[in-house]
Amino acid sequence: MKCQKKLIIVLCALLTTAGSLVAQTNQKSALAPPIVVSPADKATIQSFEKQVKDYVDLRNKLKENTPKLSKDSTPEQINAFRTALEQSLRNARAGAKRGDLFRPETADYIRRTLKIEFQGKDRQALRDTVFETETKGVVLRVNYPYAQTAELSEMPATLLTKLPQLPKEVRYRFVGRNMLLVDRESNVIIDFMPDALP
Amino acid sequence: MRVIHKRNFLLALLLSASLFVPISAQQLTNTASKGSAVKLTFPVKDGSVRFAVIGDTGSGSEQQRDVGNMMAQYHAIYPFEFVLMMGDNVYGGEAPKDFEKKFSEPYKVLLDNKVKFYASLGNHDLPLQVNYTNFNMNGKEYYRFKKGNVAFYALNSNYMDKKQVEWLESELSKDTSEWKVCFFHHPPYSSAKAHGSDSQLREVVEPIFIKYGVNVVLTGHDHVYERIKPQKGIYYFVSGAGGKLRTGDVKDRSLLTEKSYDRDLHFMLFEVAGDQMYFQAISRTGETIDSGTITRSKRLATD
Repeated sequence: MKCQKKLIIVLCALLTTAGSLVAQTNQKSALAPPIVVSPADKATIQSFEKQVKDYVDLRNKLKENTPKLSKDSTPEQINAFRTALEQSLRNARAGAKRGDLFRPETADYIRRTLKIEFQGKDRQALRDTVFETETKGVVLRVNYPYAQTAELSEMPATLLTKLPQLPKEVRYRFVGRNMLLVDRESNVIIDFMPDALP
Repeated sequence: MRVIHKRNFLLALLLSASLFVPISAQQLTNTASKGSAVKLTFPVKDGSVRFAVIGDTGSGSEQQRDVGNMMAQYHAIYPFEFVLMMGDNVYGGEAPKDFEKKFSEPYKVLLDNKVKFYASLGNHDLPLQVNYTNFNMNGKEYYRFKKGNVAFYALNSNYMDKKQVEWLESELSKDTSEWKVCFFHHPPYSSAKAHGSDSQLREVVEPIFIKYGVNVVLTGHDHVYERIKPQKGIYYFVSGAGGKLRTGDVKDRSLLTEKSYDRDLHFMLFEVAGDQMYFQAISRTGETIDSGTITRSKRLATD
């Protein structure tokens, strides 16, 4: 009986410890801890964020001259807004070319980030998420719209927390191994990086 | 030693006990409409929160219209106030005629009866859908609204960035609602062969759901019906066959599945009354494919 009592006490202690461990796991933040970046990479990210901000300033200025879109719009109003914003952007950025925002040092930083993220046990799950997207019909061309009939790749949530953060007007998107920067509302491709994924 | 084994067994049994209770009580039946048996397995209590769920609807197919018509038949005997949409609301282009054919026409009877639709975005939906008046998204890709004792959180699982995660955590942390229901497109748990569980998304959102006591998670993406065995105290549903179907797509012996259906399109109905949430999954032809009751856990948020 003494032996049984001791075992019960040990089991209770183990259960309590396990319970507190579970609670600690549950309490940890869902967001990954910030990645430690080198001063050079920090400068690269800041430069990229400045490029993106310049783009956003321009597109928001253009947006002021397009028909206003309320939260209670009809499909016709949405269509008119998207078309008008797309045309304004394409005209204003007529000389835009690949690499304007994804400059070599930015592309290098993002490729390294993707390489780290796309390794280990999660590699296959990440690749499945990206490559299952049906993107037939998407022509990768800066300053042209992403095909409206094509699927949009789900951006892996774990990856989005590691990439440089974007303002709400701009989105990352994958088409196969290529990474795009897309205007959220007009769906215009702002820039893209070929073979971004390892 | 035998005593200890028995105690451990009892403890394990208590810990794993599900709160799921199959409905066996009152059943409302209406066989008058169009000769089909429209059977409701809900108690229909005064003041309850009543809603429907559809996912992956926007195909514009004949089958989608059939589902819309069946929903209207059920609405006649069970006037649900609103419909949650799990995303992929409009497939293959978003011209005005697409919204007409793939949304307004199939659900015309419901829209005429002032039923409100609350949409979330799928991987076939352009972000500007948030401005479409009939999707009631108020210009936002993720938003919260409350009905009775239930708080609903629509999320954009296609782009779960840091801002959205922080918003979700902030909103849930101050939410005192008795029920918290999250709905979005990609399923954290799914036994379908086509897509299956979205482990990347799950890694980010599940700790938040657990921490702040989310009760139920509704999703789509896989074109089947599946009720997942409760995961860490949370009830997950996949309801992604409101307009498209992948016949035979659910894995036969998945350990995740409590109940599944992949032979026809479907929609779901819910009623929330006090600590009970009643649910019923209904096929395109009106057959009840699953039903039951979830009893709200009294557990507190873990912080």
